[in-house]
Amino acid sequence: MGDSQYSFSLTTFSPSGKLVQIEHALTAVGSGQTSLGIKAANGVVIATEKKLPSILVDETSVQKIQALTPNIGVVYSGMGPDFRVLVRKSRKQAQQYYRLYKEHIPVTQLVRETAAVMQEFTQSGGVRPFGVSLLIAGYDDNGPQLYQVDPSGSYFSWKASAMGKNVSNAKTFLEKRYTEDMELDDAIHTAILTLKEGYEGQISSNNIEIGILRADREFKVLSPAEIKDFLEEVE
Amino acid sequence: MTGSMDLPAKGGFDFDLCRRNNMLEKNGLKLPGFLKTGTTIVGLVFQDGVVLGADTRATEGPIVADKNCEKIHFMAPNIYCCGAGTAADTEAVTDMVSSQLQLHRYATGRESRVITALTLLKSHLFRYQGHVSAALVLGGVDCTGPHLHTVYPHGSTDTLPFATMGSGSLAAMSVFESRFKEGLTREEGIELVSDAIRAGIFNDLGSGSNVDVCVITKGKTEYLRNHQLPNPRTYASSKGFSFTKGQTEVLSTKIIPLKQKVEVAEGGDAMEE
Repeated sequence: MGDSQYSFSLTTFSPSGKLVQIEHALTAVGSGQTSLGIKAANGVVIATEKKLPSILVDETSVQKIQALTPNIGVVYSGMGPDFRVLVRKSRKQAQQYYRLYKEHIPVTQLVRETAAVMQEFTQSGGVRPFGVSLLIAGYDDNGPQLYQVDPSGSYFSWKASAMGKNVSNAKTFLEKRYTEDMELDDAIHTAILTLKEGYEGQISSNNIEIGILRADREFKVLSPAEIKDFLEEVE
Repeated sequence: MTGSMDLPAKGGFDFDLCRRNNMLEKNGLKLPGFLKTGTTIVGLVFQDGVVLGADTRATEGPIVADKNCEKIHFMAPNIYCCGAGTAADTEAVTDMVSSQLQLHRYATGRESRVITALTLLKSHLFRYQGHVSAALVLGGVDCTGPHLHTVYPHGSTDTLPFATMGSGSLAAMSVFESRFKEGLTREEGIELVSDAIRAGIFNDLGSGSNVDVCVITKGKTEYLRNHQLPNPRTYASSKGFSFTKGQTEVLSTKIIPLKQKVEVAEGGDAMEE
């Protein structure tokens, strides 16, 4: 196909109007571990599978879900190292915003700034796009919010979304199960069930990660013990 | 906004305009004054942690600019910092280090240490060679125990069991030197700090108004804003003021009837857009 002749340079459009490197980045995301997020009436939940390459890896040293500010958290699908860079940049931007305006950064602003960073890397020389899609969950004066940011820098607000390997099945499952007035605990159960759907092997409190935001607006990553309680409720 | 927080900075202030400013001053231009905090700030270590104290008067030369300002600044949930010197400098430097500590907490996943705050502050102040006029009393409790430090505008620091800074530091230090002992209880610590600040308030012109106290222990911080108010307003009259007619002497009267100056036309069209 004619596109492949234009896939050598990030900053060159193909005849079909695509930036092929971004398409490849999305493929990298699509082969990453499944992650999902659900916006409830009184909070947000984000979750991901945490499949480690070997049983010898110390799973307590790996944390895929990270806090950006006390009331905003993020999870990813794709390349872990790229995620770490974005988390660092976003945290710094949130601090700079606070230093400038003495107001805690609203969720939409942080999403916009992170997306702007990702877009920068699709229009500069000598760099490649980030190989991650992010799910940013936040709770501010506009209520609970969930945003997805893609390698191209485009972002969308979702009521519920999934990314990674099992995206189509997970999304179908979420479409069936999502209700507007869902409570956060229901949303957590739904999230676990969605992850379970596509999981190869036995799901347990050590191979998934869940982050939640309740009405108290404090982002919290659940401990394995807390995840175990939710898993038992789901069984 | 990119580049506003790039570390390390190129270094110090830009002194290109100094010669011009000196020339202007010689020619009679009055340079703008700045808000200093006069101030008495103190800190001491007691058996469970640290107690910090400060007065609340901000002065602009001989004028009291703010009767109830906040001189105890937040650095981290377990670290607070009292500031003396130029108010803008203490605010800016504590805000900046507080922000850096937050980023550091996110990166490490750990509680901030007092020594980290101390090193960030002293490095910044040293780089500006004393031009950032901030004299600080930094105190907090971290995993290595309670710590109290003083930081001077040129970037030197001391580690002490009790400390005072500011124009009222001598008055406050006299109270500490006579009554401080190791192993004070929380109540004794708060009382000693309040007494020291009050000594500064009543004996130093640059300090006044109220006493702010901050108690930091392992896992808990209590910010007692306006813990004592030894200078309440005593002169406001609750009856208010009444002025009877004839109290003010009329020197001259001039009446200009406006009707004769203005032509009032009836009707007319509405204003066109």
